[in-house]
Amino acid sequence: MVRVVAVAILAVLLCMPMLPGANDARLFTLTLMFTAVGVAVNWNLTGGFTGYVDFGHAAWFGIGAYTTAILMSLQSNGPQIGWPALPAVILGALVAGLLAAVIGRATMRLKGPYFSIAMLGTFVAVREIVRVWGGLTGGGVGLTLPPYLNRPLFYYIELGLVAALVAFTWWLRGTRFGAALVAIREDEIGAEMRGIDTTRLKVVVFSFAGFSTGLFGGLWAFQNTFVDPDIAFVELRTVDAVMGTMLGGLGTVAGPLVGTVLLFWLRELLWSHLLDYHLIVQGALLIVIVLFVPRGLVGRFDARGTSVMELWRRRPGRKPVGDSEEAGP
Amino acid sequence: MIPLLEARGLVKRFGGLTAVDGVDIRVGRGEMVGLIGPNGSGKTTLFDCLSRVTAIDSGSVEFDGTDITRFRPHEVARLGLSRTFQVIRVYRDLSVSENLELSIQWSRVGASGLFRRTDPATTRRVEGLLEFLLLGSLRHERAGALSGGQRRLLEIGMALMSEPRLILLDESTSGVNPTLVAEIADRLRAVNAEGVAILLVEHNVQFVSDLCERVVVLDQGAKLAEGTPDEIMENRSVIEAYFGAEAGAGG
Repeated sequence: MVRVVAVAILAVLLCMPMLPGANDARLFTLTLMFTAVGVAVNWNLTGGFTGYVDFGHAAWFGIGAYTTAILMSLQSNGPQIGWPALPAVILGALVAGLLAAVIGRATMRLKGPYFSIAMLGTFVAVREIVRVWGGLTGGGVGLTLPPYLNRPLFYYIELGLVAALVAFTWWLRGTRFGAALVAIREDEIGAEMRGIDTTRLKVVVFSFAGFSTGLFGGLWAFQNTFVDPDIAFVELRTVDAVMGTMLGGLGTVAGPLVGTVLLFWLRELLWSHLLDYHLIVQGALLIVIVLFVPRGLVGRFDARGTSVMELWRRRPGRKPVGDSEEAGP
Repeated sequence: MIPLLEARGLVKRFGGLTAVDGVDIRVGRGEMVGLIGPNGSGKTTLFDCLSRVTAIDSGSVEFDGTDITRFRPHEVARLGLSRTFQVIRVYRDLSVSENLELSIQWSRVGASGLFRRTDPATTRRVEGLLEFLLLGSLRHERAGALSGGQRRLLEIGMALMSEPRLILLDESTSGVNPTLVAEIADRLRAVNAEGVAILLVEHNVQFVSDLCERVVVLDQGAKLAEGTPDEIMENRSVIEAYFGAEAGAGG
């Protein structure tokens, strides 16, 4: 049943640009939604599967966006020397992935809230570096990319990427690698003592998430045709990924997809009807999720899901979960 | 002959407290050794030092002739040293089978094996251990839903899954009912009979006496005595450490 619904939704989305009433504005809105879903799915790999709640994930988006923008807007005194979009976007993602590997190697030694705060600090530091490194990044003025406003093409590229990413996550979760990530979340010391090289797996998945989010960042920069530090490095992008994943279900495959789509349309609704209060309502929603739907909408049906509260309980210094000392059978 | 595990002069301090104070300990191949001591004597900290879960302040640990003093826990596990914990560590959100599948010998998992769910050899081993540990009917249960005793058995299974040469068992009968304690003892004898060495931390002295040929006693972080179970039972210092100076003097 779930597969039938998924295939039906995918079919509708594939036909969307050809449907009556489809215009560039609507396709652009949907493309932004796919971007938000992609970022949330990537965030879930470290935050949900591995239990490392990354409050600086939007840094990889910004790095991908800026690398793409820098490469595509390269100029010399003579002919235009800007890179074509495809290699620029791919290199942007690779730079994001590489930096994620380097930074993750250092920050993933930290646990629980310490890691989260370190990543928030990383995000702010990267944004400020981009702001002050004017010679390369254009500083606060930003960079303008060559325009290429083919909305249906971006729509299909991002739809394909998101579909591939969700399928990849589903496949990964069924492998030893995916199960080992959940084991790290459940009990990292125990996982180490069972022979799992937790540092390696954490850095690999963190780096992949950085690469993939950098890819979405590069595509976003290309279709936005302009980047500056305040629109490429937005805290709200991380907040959306966290909220969408929590609403759908942390550590589940479908959770970030379901939660982010709901959140996206809820925001559109709030934006149009409660312009002055939409952020207040959104903040209240976060509290409601944590209190009343801690495992999320999909997480209620998926034993491998978790909640922020459980991740918090497993922070260092606490006993591992499942350690009650009652008599045996 | 080189012992399987040999630690020399182990010291571990937590601020002003010396939890392990110059302990020497060795375990031979296929041997079953008991480690006992009053509460707070440093048994679990010693296990943490041996398995590299905690850093050592001084001293050295060798496993099968390899210096593992600076190894990380997963490297120690991959050499064949496995352990259980005083506070049970199982993956609560995963099923019983998945807990075992994830406790394989990771040194044999290549890049392609990392991206598979399992393999026939692992499946066979999981099935064998489920039957051996009386957990066959619970294979699809979430580990978090098991009772304390069942989780103890599962954790022992996880320690055995990697085909270790030495297992450090930390209070494997704690919180377990007497019937199951006898079952655990039987299983440990069977494992040991296959050549797996066992170092056993226990509060249940009778359990240790029944199983082990040699017993080491810790008190206040230092080694107090070592000998056969009978020698240990009659050792005045040990009696004093457990029951006080008066009991020791009274014999």
